[in-house]
Amino acid sequence: MKQWIALAVVAPTLLLGAEKETCPFGPFDLRSPREQQVSLYHQLSVTAEAVAPSGRHRAVGPPAGVISYPASINYIDDEIFGKMRTDGIRSSDLSSDDEFLRRVTIDLTGQIPDSATVTAFLADKSADKRAKTIDVLLASDAFVDRWTMWFGDLVNNVQVSANSREFAQGRNAYYNYIHDSIKANKPYDQMVRELLGANGDSFASGPPNFWVRQIQPNGPIQDTYDNLAAESGRMFLGMPLQCISCHNGLGHLDQVNVYLKGHSRYDFWGSASFFSRGRATRVSQDPNNKNLVSWSLVDAATGSYQLNTTSGNKSARAPIGTQNTVSPAFVMTGEAPRAGEPWREAFGRMLTANPQFALAAVNYLWKEMFGLGIVEPADNMDPTRYDPNNLPSGQSVQPNHPALLTRLGNDFTTGRYDLRAILRTMAMSNTYQLSTKYTAATWNESWTPYYARHIPRRLMAESLMDAIAKATNVPVTYTITSGGTTTSAMKLPDTLEVRNNVYGRFMDEFGRGNRDDEGRSNDTSIAQSLSLMNDGTVVVNRTHRATANSTVAKTLASTTDPNTITDQLYLTTLSRYPTATEKAQAVAYLKSGTLANKTEDLQWVLLNSLDFLFD
Amino acid sequence: MARPRLPKSTIECPDCTKASGFPLGQSEGFSRRRFMKIAGTGLVASYFADVFSPRLLQGATTANVALRNTAKNAIFIFLPGAPSNIDTWDLKEGAWTPSDFNATSYDNNTVRFPQGLMPMTAAQLNKVTFVRSGLSWAAVHTLGQAWAQIARNPGGATGSIAPHIGAVVALESQLKRQPTDVLPGFIALNSSGIPASGYLPASYAPFQVVPAATGLPTIAHPDGATRFSDRWGFLQQLDSSRTTGALGKSTLDMSSFYTQSKALMDAPNINAVFSFTAAEHTKYGASTFGDSLIVARNVIAAGKGTRFVQATLGGWDHHSGIYTKPATGVNSLYTQCAQFDPAYASLLADMAAMPGSVAGKTLLDETLVVVVAEFGRTVGVLNNQAGRDHNLRMTTVWAGGGVRGGNVIGKTDVTGGSVADFGWSGNRDIRPEDVTSTIYSALGIDYTTMRHDDPLNRGFEYVPFAKDGTYKPIDELFTLS
Repeated sequence: MKQWIALAVVAPTLLLGAEKETCPFGPFDLRSPREQQVSLYHQLSVTAEAVAPSGRHRAVGPPAGVISYPASINYIDDEIFGKMRTDGIRSSDLSSDDEFLRRVTIDLTGQIPDSATVTAFLADKSADKRAKTIDVLLASDAFVDRWTMWFGDLVNNVQVSANSREFAQGRNAYYNYIHDSIKANKPYDQMVRELLGANGDSFASGPPNFWVRQIQPNGPIQDTYDNLAAESGRMFLGMPLQCISCHNGLGHLDQVNVYLKGHSRYDFWGSASFFSRGRATRVSQDPNNKNLVSWSLVDAATGSYQLNTTSGNKSARAPIGTQNTVSPAFVMTGEAPRAGEPWREAFGRMLTANPQFALAAVNYLWKEMFGLGIVEPADNMDPTRYDPNNLPSGQSVQPNHPALLTRLGNDFTTGRYDLRAILRTMAMSNTYQLSTKYTAATWNESWTPYYARHIPRRLMAESLMDAIAKATNVPVTYTITSGGTTTSAMKLPDTLEVRNNVYGRFMDEFGRGNRDDEGRSNDTSIAQSLSLMNDGTVVVNRTHRATANSTVAKTLASTTDPNTITDQLYLTTLSRYPTATEKAQAVAYLKSGTLANKTEDLQWVLLNSLDFLFD
Repeated sequence: MARPRLPKSTIECPDCTKASGFPLGQSEGFSRRRFMKIAGTGLVASYFADVFSPRLLQGATTANVALRNTAKNAIFIFLPGAPSNIDTWDLKEGAWTPSDFNATSYDNNTVRFPQGLMPMTAAQLNKVTFVRSGLSWAAVHTLGQAWAQIARNPGGATGSIAPHIGAVVALESQLKRQPTDVLPGFIALNSSGIPASGYLPASYAPFQVVPAATGLPTIAHPDGATRFSDRWGFLQQLDSSRTTGALGKSTLDMSSFYTQSKALMDAPNINAVFSFTAAEHTKYGASTFGDSLIVARNVIAAGKGTRFVQATLGGWDHHSGIYTKPATGVNSLYTQCAQFDPAYASLLADMAAMPGSVAGKTLLDETLVVVVAEFGRTVGVLNNQAGRDHNLRMTTVWAGGGVRGGNVIGKTDVTGGSVADFGWSGNRDIRPEDVTSTIYSALGIDYTTMRHDDPLNRGFEYVPFAKDGTYKPIDELFTLS
């Protein structure tokens, strides 16, 4: 919606006018409804126990008897298969080599595997070839691109949002920081501490943009402190601290989050207070354009969170008795900074030391790899409802696998917050390597939170764009504002780049969002299917033999054998060989008309097949 | 430091203070029973259609209120950024008022209107009723915008799952659809990034269209109909999981969108609905917004299943230079009204001259046209940037669909900043929830409905607390003489 708001708005003090603002919630929750929603059955299954007590499952599950499961590779399989065994749920079979290779390549790098990689992998007879592939992918440049995109989504790094302007320069600095940190395998907790405690100029270095992104122009400085504290909570603790930035939890969050129900607005102010010594000042970057400013961020020696506001985006902050300020106290522990410790640095230290920090991270990462968080919604985690043996009266356990969540968090912590290591653990598990195809029985959607089969997902916008270009061998060149060019959509530094051409609109249609009020979504729509079938520039021209170097042109130049053509198009597009049935159908189809035309047709059909669009 | 006691919170959150459903995960609830019953049958391929069938509304609860049921369709014109009301719908003349606004009296001296700013709309005022006792909940753009389109606090408990008003209308009209109804129930023009279907199926999400004279860019296959037909046939044959659902719900959704796309492509002359001539483009003001209202008119007139159309015109956030003359090319009230005025006025005039689906009714008679923003702007003299800042007081503008035109509901004080007379039976400020209740009531949708299929298992109210009487339609729109 940002385009609806004048970009160069001077920020006057917000006048509430004659009207009393009754519930000044703000700023708006950044996630789209659909993004949080996942789907009906996923949400229904937030608590596996409540949704599907084991007795109920047996009623609709497979007949009693000994069920066998794939081998347990690590603690993930112990937990996942253990619960399935207890409840009598069968898993799907392990994925075939081609299914595994395509999935793990897309999940870890955002790219589809090319035909040479596929054939080499299928020919490899070594027992540890899946592990070797995972390690190759983790070490690849494409891994860095894909997880830089993920981290950019997490912290909403974007050139412009409704409230803030990083500008392309600040956005690029932030992007480069994230990219270089992930490339160097910088521990995740260290990255977060560097963002929270950042100093310096927002064009010259990345981390100060964490602050710049949260600047609230139409209110007192406390609104900015509140944004920083609330968004830190959402990103790094997976909790909606926003809720208690306007009012106490009690009486408001009873039905939403039991943990936060027990916290007050005053508790929130204690966290926001950590930011009250940050000082961001405008630095003009262009004498001819007064709007182009970076921000210089430093820590002041003094300052505090004042209770003295009556305007802006929150209800009034008024003195409590004779108390006019709130001292820093971390919302989850009440801990205060050490003597002499810069306050924002202290906040980063406490936040990253809290167990919830690791739990939020592994839950977000799990959701990336498995399609469904152990806790959903992943940004409304409720620590009070983690322990099945210690639940508040009338409440259900929130994680679908509580012990697994704990073990993943501990693993991430003891592994020094190594992103590649925890993703490797997930990818290595046989749970991850289960097939999307379920043949043990008629699939029952209530088995989804058991992860009884791999959950298929529509490729994310940038992945799909890259996959179309790669499968057809017709690349796209994207121009990045103040940042050169790239041929991979996954390398775009934010989701507003290439906004105004056919490729940008295509990726918008596929839910890349705006890192502001439209979250990323892998929903489907009519607009998507129309574009996939009929968009000349993005899809259809890429299937033409007249398009230079296209897969179709190259294939037709090398062979007239329908069998070979079929194999090649399957390998380049779906990263696998056709099944016998598919091959027979495709060969017959190629023979049913002019071979060159039919080859184009087959290419189009494969690009529009569900196997291509989903992972 | 000991934690001091805070004074009791005086903040009222309409969504999170009251729970309308069950405690979290505690009760089994309708949806879970329903879910298990259907899931247990193993009808994986079809049960989502079943779960989300409008027939499920038989399991929903309502307060059984009287509904207006005067409209078949709605056009929702959204003006994000928020125009100044005292310069437009609720004109307050002062030393600040530019003389070329040419303030003029209309409708037997009941309305003062800036004829010079919106000459074409001025000529249509006998069709239009202003509701001037409106009040937004929040003076933050993104929040207010979402609030206006989902009829609840976006940060509240059900805000995160809430569908757009138009998605609810599309769902409610599902049962009335005919085989020839190939268009989606909800079309959004020039409205990227608006709320979508919330927890409802994606098929009720807005079909997003950026209007172009040649229509939809992807409605026809570039390689020709014959090639397409051949390709489509082979796609269905080769990709068997499209129908078996072997890969689950999300793939079936996608498959269903392909089928709907195909129906759209196959429907005769459907692209004509999305196309327009150069003459029409000029008549509607030669802007993207004008093009949007041409398409809105066409889509409604086509009668092919679309019941709710949103068209959006932003750029009203005039913190500075609100009266800057258009000759400078700088965004101001003049530039925005120059886009709004010919488009809106032509829409009303055209639809009033087109036949409705029932003899004796015009298309405008059957179509509610409502103009909404997320809030208003400050009143009186301009700020030191020659602009106006955010203010909660706002006017909504109504026409068609049974609305008695040429009226004013509610009266503001001499400044326009406060209400002197609420002007309706509610005798209080008119909130976005009341505006939505009015739209639903006009369309014959029970605005007190509480569905029981929401994923949070709280119960999903079309308009929160409407069943308790907290919000209600502005019936005066339809009853004033």
